[in-house]
Amino acid sequence: MTDKLHPIIEKAGREFADGKLGRREFLRIAVLLGVAAPTAYGMVGLAAPAMAQGAPKKGGTIRLGMRVQDISSPHTYSWIESANSARQTLDYMAVTGIDNVTRPSLVQKWEATPDLKTWTLQLRRDVKWRKGRQFNADDAIWNLKRVLDDKTGSSVVGLLKGFILTEFDDGQKDAKGNPRKSVKLWDANAIQKVDDFTVKLNGQTANLAIPEALYHYPLLICSPEDGGKFGIGSDGTGAYELVEHEVGKRSLYVATKTAHWSGMGPNVDRFEIIDLGDDAAAQVSALASKQVDMIYQGAISTLPTVERLPHVQVNTVDSGYTAVARTHPIKPFDDKRVRQALRHATDTEAVLKAAYRGLGKPGEHHHVAPVHPEYANIGFMKQDIAKAKALLAEAGHPNGIDCQIDCRPQPDWELLAVQTMVEQWKAAGIRAKINVMPSAQYWENWTKVPFGFTTWAHRPLGTMVLGLAYRSGAAWNESAWSNAEFDKLITEAEGYLDVEKRRAVMAKIQRIMLDEGPAVVPLWRAVFNYSDKKIKGYKIHPSIYIDIKDLWIDA
Amino acid sequence: MLRYSAKQLLNMALTLFAVSFLVFALNELSPGDVTRKILGPYASQSQVDHLTREMGLDRPALVRYFEYMGKALTGNFGNSIYYRQPVSELMWDRLGNTLLLAAISFAVIVPISVLLGVLAGMRERGWFDRAVSIFSSICASIPEFAMGVFLLAIFVVWLGVLPGTSPLRGDAGWAIWMQFVLPVLVVTFYDAGYLIAMVRSSMVEVMRQPYIRTALLKGNSFRNVVAKHALRNALITPFTVILLQLNYLVSGLVVVETLFAYPGFGRLMLEAALAKDIAVLEAGTLVAVSVTMLTQLFGDLGYMALDPRIRV
Repeated sequence: MTDKLHPIIEKAGREFADGKLGRREFLRIAVLLGVAAPTAYGMVGLAAPAMAQGAPKKGGTIRLGMRVQDISSPHTYSWIESANSARQTLDYMAVTGIDNVTRPSLVQKWEATPDLKTWTLQLRRDVKWRKGRQFNADDAIWNLKRVLDDKTGSSVVGLLKGFILTEFDDGQKDAKGNPRKSVKLWDANAIQKVDDFTVKLNGQTANLAIPEALYHYPLLICSPEDGGKFGIGSDGTGAYELVEHEVGKRSLYVATKTAHWSGMGPNVDRFEIIDLGDDAAAQVSALASKQVDMIYQGAISTLPTVERLPHVQVNTVDSGYTAVARTHPIKPFDDKRVRQALRHATDTEAVLKAAYRGLGKPGEHHHVAPVHPEYANIGFMKQDIAKAKALLAEAGHPNGIDCQIDCRPQPDWELLAVQTMVEQWKAAGIRAKINVMPSAQYWENWTKVPFGFTTWAHRPLGTMVLGLAYRSGAAWNESAWSNAEFDKLITEAEGYLDVEKRRAVMAKIQRIMLDEGPAVVPLWRAVFNYSDKKIKGYKIHPSIYIDIKDLWIDA
Repeated sequence: MLRYSAKQLLNMALTLFAVSFLVFALNELSPGDVTRKILGPYASQSQVDHLTREMGLDRPALVRYFEYMGKALTGNFGNSIYYRQPVSELMWDRLGNTLLLAAISFAVIVPISVLLGVLAGMRERGWFDRAVSIFSSICASIPEFAMGVFLLAIFVVWLGVLPGTSPLRGDAGWAIWMQFVLPVLVVTFYDAGYLIAMVRSSMVEVMRQPYIRTALLKGNSFRNVVAKHALRNALITPFTVILLQLNYLVSGLVVVETLFAYPGFGRLMLEAALAKDIAVLEAGTLVAVSVTMLTQLFGDLGYMALDPRIRV
């Protein structure tokens, strides 16, 4: 604990007391600003969640059904699956739990200056690499510099660019001959070694989310001796050692002899990853015949069968994963009344039931999910066919409209959702033809099709997803939508750390999305997977991060 | 015959070359780029650019094709970009697994089909013929994946007596031979249905021939006539069809292999195609086309041996 609370915490505490700030968001801010998680829970009058159900038992094997990928370069991972493999051997500097609270890991304590530009990271002094050497500031700095080096190609760059990197022209050209912008640390002293166990990040802008960034999945802390490569026998501070690895087939991790420095595990002796391919039926078969104990991610098509397997449990958590039917501003969708009609003609509760077996939450068309901290409850938009018809007539389409919606066949729920909506729209006179194209083809055209159905990943903040998807001119603005008022408000919202202020702006933004917006958001998916009931201590993470050292087997 | 074989082999070399070019061209033209597929939807554009440069994919397609073929001619099929292994190692391992599944299935399918087909065709429209015909048409009309899911539901989910996937490892509580039961069953049902029908119709046709009637009228026993006069003639047509099954069994098992997570050649090719893993695709196509053309060659030679009237 810091002796003095960060000024933002004190302010947040007052707002929490006044009922302006939710518990969850207060917790998040407090821990991000250096308050220990149990203390933060105490401050809002909650008990910290108990981590274990009963005393862990030692021994046994956990076999996980998941793709076995090339995992040789942790800092450039672009799949969660890869990180789920290497995270057994390599640790992170901080860990964001299933409660969205970020806790210390290799960094024992962090502290931010009031302007949130300078972050001091205190490293643990009791961590050893498996091969014997003590973990220290040089290791942390080596990893941080490596992920922020343009030549490494890590996605951490995108996350911390504004905070600590600056663009420059390195004289290189891209494939088209245009000068390519490289990035480098904005200041030679940006990552500063204070002493053997203290690192200071001197940023150029304020950033509240530094501890969360330390848990961005490619930011695994590798041993500098391994040069950023990972493989069989690689050193690590984690609880397991990789002993076998064959891409497309299988990986095997074996527990270290000593207890993990965190005090958690390892309990299970061996952790095996078995590649079952992409066929969802194979996953169920393997689970049913006990050839695996856990499946990384469930498919909606296999859920009814798995629910009938007595030894298997389905783990679910709500998320901001979704897919949206979005339009380009061309006829007939250039008229906002037509876009409104699309939304009024959609029964999102029915779509959720039909396409995703009701697992999740019905969508509210503004692409801000109830799990987002700044979500504003502006009322649920129910299906209203009469209103949709009236709007279409008003827009000059008394006999309805004909259009085509492009989508992809996999995963199956996406096509089901489109089919369900298209059926619903018929009642309002919106006759949409479904054009299914192979996924690869869809991804080449997703920003170009006039009317398409695109999947969107979960992001921790509503402002993040709206900024990416709907801001004028943004690379991922697939609907080519442009609204000056929206742009102004989203920038305003991003500037507030205070969630209540953000929420007030968000309410306005959400109303704009309902009134003017280009999208129909039919549902929020719950993320789910399957595990054998003998596996204890497991709770599914919204990003499906799996940490084997926390688990044990009790048959 | 020697000249014929030599000509066919030359023909095969030309075909292989043409096919290798086609595969390369199709791979280039099909949507999605390799690096994006390897890195997945969440990779940043700079990561994609990095890998594109690293893999030399920013060079013209023809340059890459000839470079690849030059190496392939010296026996170097390169490395798989997805599996991060030399293609040769990967290919033999997976091909070996598929050949094993194919061999077992073949050893089950052929005797059953010939036996049932001959017995059914021997007495056209008899009760046995009708029963076999119904059975074979049902089997042949159920697609492999439906049959597979059906058998899985019974033997794995309901009864729990067989393993649901076949990773061919003995350490997961199921003996390796048990992991073969379901894949072989699915392949057998699907393929035998078709073969039985072929053998049967060929047999029916032969049994209608005048020489069979003559032999019977001469007083030969029915059994003798079937064994000595009908059988060999009835097997000429199915012989080629049986050889063509080899082809299906080597490169057509993709559905069964995917369903049972069987580490075979078909699944390898499917995943290589999805990942645009060109080195694996080219080598795999080479294998598949060779198998097809070689079985055709053997088919022609076998024909000659069975029917003295045919000369090539």
